[in-house]
Amino acid sequence: MRRTMLYLPGNNPNMLTRGHLFGSDGLILDLEDAVAMVEKDTARILVSKYLHQGEFGKCEVTVRINGIDTEYWKDDLAAVVPAKRLDGIRAPKVDDAGTVKILDEEISRLEDKNGIPQGKLKLFCLLETAKGIWNAYDIATASPRVAAIIPGGEDLRADLKTERSDDSTELEWARRMLVFAARAAGVDPLDTVFSRVTDDAGLRKETKFIKQLGFAGKSIIHPNQIGIIHDVFNPTEQEIAKAQKIIAAAKEAAARGQGAVSVDGKMVDVPVVKRAEYILVRAGLSEVK
Amino acid sequence: MKSIQAGTLESMDCLVTLTEAPAGAGIKIAITGASAARFKSAMEKKIKETLAELGVKDIEVAVQDNGALDIVLGARVEAAYARLQKEGAR
Amino acid sequence: MTINAVKREIPDYIEGYGKVRHYQGAFARTPEGRVAGAGLRCVNSDKTDKRVSSIKEAIKASGLKSGMTVSFHHHLRNGDYVVNMVLDACAELGIKGLTLFPTALFGVHKKVLEHIKSGVVTKIMGSVNGPIGQYISEGGMEVPVVLRSHGGRPRAVMAGDVHIDVAFIGAPTADKYGNICGTLGKSACGSLGYAFTDADYADKVVVITDNLVQYPAAPVSIPQTKADIVVEVESIGDPAGIVSGTTKVTRDPLRLLISNYASKLIEASPYFTDGLSFQTGAGGIPLAVTAFMKEAMIKKGIKGSFGLGGITGYFVELLKEGLVDKLMDVQSFDLDAVRSIGENPNHIEISADWYANPWNAGAAVNMLDVVILGATEVDTDFNANVNTEADGALLHGTGGHQDTAAGAKLTIIAQPLLRGRIPCVTDKVYSVTTPGEVIDAIVTEYGVTINPRRKDLLDAVSGVKGLPLVSMEELAARAVKMSGPTDPVATTDRIIGVVEWRDGTVIDVVRQLKK
Repeated sequence: MRRTMLYLPGNNPNMLTRGHLFGSDGLILDLEDAVAMVEKDTARILVSKYLHQGEFGKCEVTVRINGIDTEYWKDDLAAVVPAKRLDGIRAPKVDDAGTVKILDEEISRLEDKNGIPQGKLKLFCLLETAKGIWNAYDIATASPRVAAIIPGGEDLRADLKTERSDDSTELEWARRMLVFAARAAGVDPLDTVFSRVTDDAGLRKETKFIKQLGFAGKSIIHPNQIGIIHDVFNPTEQEIAKAQKIIAAAKEAAARGQGAVSVDGKMVDVPVVKRAEYILVRAGLSEVK
Repeated sequence: MKSIQAGTLESMDCLVTLTEAPAGAGIKIAITGASAARFKSAMEKKIKETLAELGVKDIEVAVQDNGALDIVLGARVEAAYARLQKEGAR
Repeated sequence: MTINAVKREIPDYIEGYGKVRHYQGAFARTPEGRVAGAGLRCVNSDKTDKRVSSIKEAIKASGLKSGMTVSFHHHLRNGDYVVNMVLDACAELGIKGLTLFPTALFGVHKKVLEHIKSGVVTKIMGSVNGPIGQYISEGGMEVPVVLRSHGGRPRAVMAGDVHIDVAFIGAPTADKYGNICGTLGKSACGSLGYAFTDADYADKVVVITDNLVQYPAAPVSIPQTKADIVVEVESIGDPAGIVSGTTKVTRDPLRLLISNYASKLIEASPYFTDGLSFQTGAGGIPLAVTAFMKEAMIKKGIKGSFGLGGITGYFVELLKEGLVDKLMDVQSFDLDAVRSIGENPNHIEISADWYANPWNAGAAVNMLDVVILGATEVDTDFNANVNTEADGALLHGTGGHQDTAAGAKLTIIAQPLLRGRIPCVTDKVYSVTTPGEVIDAIVTEYGVTINPRRKDLLDAVSGVKGLPLVSMEELAARAVKMSGPTDPVATTDRIIGVVEWRDGTVIDVVRQLKK
């Protein structure tokens, strides 16, 4: 599950030590925007130490490296790839399939060099330009490493030559496009951050909206946002009960060699069963298939 | 003698200052701040271990601590030393 | 030397304190004899005005002499002017060798240090902190400080362990005959609970007010029958330091995480039913626990009976919304609490004796279901230290820690495992304030740790969703792994602090730091 992926500033020992305790599904140790230019070197060493120590509970652990247009990204990868506790790389400013290829090659080289199984590290691509959004499907299918694509927030707004509005109208099309591309490619669509950290009601509203669009989760910048997002994404008790009923009926039908059955007077076919399975996965009552 | 810093004074961090020392001077460590009262030995040990791994024999280390764990202390010493070497290479 | 019931080696006699009664268990000591008291007085109708012109005149009229004991309450908290005004006047009058017996001292009282250095104050029985704590910890006083809990203090007075010669009572509102009211006036502080015992048992009571009203002042907290002398001053305190503004629940994620675990523990306990009573105080974590509990109470339709102790606006909200039926207030922390205790008959002012004294016919803490406390450190026997900091210096008073822990059915210490590098769980605490015998659970950012003594509680919380259980061994091991080994605190043999258990036995001593 990737309902919540929490950014931890890469030069902040407090958050690197405690970030995993707040119950997010994933962590993003950030070497990019959360780290000042003059601290890139110290943050890289600090993040590397924490990854080697590997105390992150059950979280999926990723590192956001600097963009391939900077002088830092190769050093970033070299410092973090060998670590024992790393599941993926979150790459900023991915504009096209070419960017994915460049990253893929460098990660593969480092995996080989460090005796890590090829393809172990996943790629989480941030699409932060209009071009990136336009190329979303190509990016999502450029490498089997790609696990998720994520729309940009502020950078994308700037590239669109617009600015933030209260209900983020300016990002709406990009979000829809990204969900389509991700689902078509079979990767996770993950949403951008909600930056007003004290606006709980606003976060809940936005999360409901992006869940309805089809997003699998959201990037977050503050631990206090976790509970609200999980609350929105977690199925309700009625939803779970209904899903369990559907799965049970489908199993029974399969055992009797029947295709479709009805539950509570409604036709249960394959998509309905699939949705029910997904609800149980999100409720933590079933394993991902 | 060149001197350089790494780290911050934020909570659970420390500011490490390394100052070059002449060959044979050995390692001199000064620790002040939050954990100094109860963790001086542990911190000195970590600093010496880190310097040994880096192959440093002669240096002055000053730590202003605000509750850094060993992992952070080691990272800051290593980062400061990397900066010192980079300065030297210029 | 004797090894007491919390395995501390304590001398049988302590210079400047006297013969030691050793701690033998939380409920082991029972009292003998009769209540001690003040001398009888007689005031007839020829005296209808108790006012004098100044604090100096009041001191002279009280008969205060060198070597006597003076008491103060701490309801004016960090805004208090009374302690400093009185001690300055004593110094000017050439009085020396006083024993200071406050219910607590605050940062604003750092001036006491000058009076210690000049010999005006030579003994302190009460909390010391900041520069005073540091000075005493380094050996600045001839005799040890005696630390007592909010309940232990009235016990000591009633048992005759301490005799108050003169009590100086800061009064937000008073009349010329000494009726005192805490809820009105520019320096209003709400409850005057900590001053009651002093008013009852001191030989002389001096009322110091900055709001003198026509006789009789009302509503009355402490009546004229206790007051000997009244003095009007310009101001008894700085309102900004007396009460805080509206108390807001923290947004610090670490504190919220710990509070959430603590609240879940309470919800899973057998006490989370109608009639629930609790004390949570004013700190960041306790307040957030209250907020989480409130949500849970509404969700499950549970109504509590009373909230106890130091009262905040947040508790007042619970009262207004019917989630608790009464508030028993020994100290009102903020403006909302001050307003409420003045207006709402279900918001009751209680004395420290009523609140917490182990030696009366039953204190309010005995009726508590749940209390949330903090601590500097807790050891693997669940003993808690609140008096000294990690560096071994005296820093905090005992407050109601011992009393509520002994009284409540569920005593929870909620605290981050690490403050910087310093762990709150160790093999052996530096000094014991409250024994593990009366502590049921520790809550940290790593989850809930239940005292093995409470098997029933462990069973109740096992398997609760979203509530990680961590054994004390695991928690202690984690603390050591993260923090590394500690260096011992370097001390001399000299005792500078005596920590009494609420029954007057010595649970631990604090030794002088080596500079």
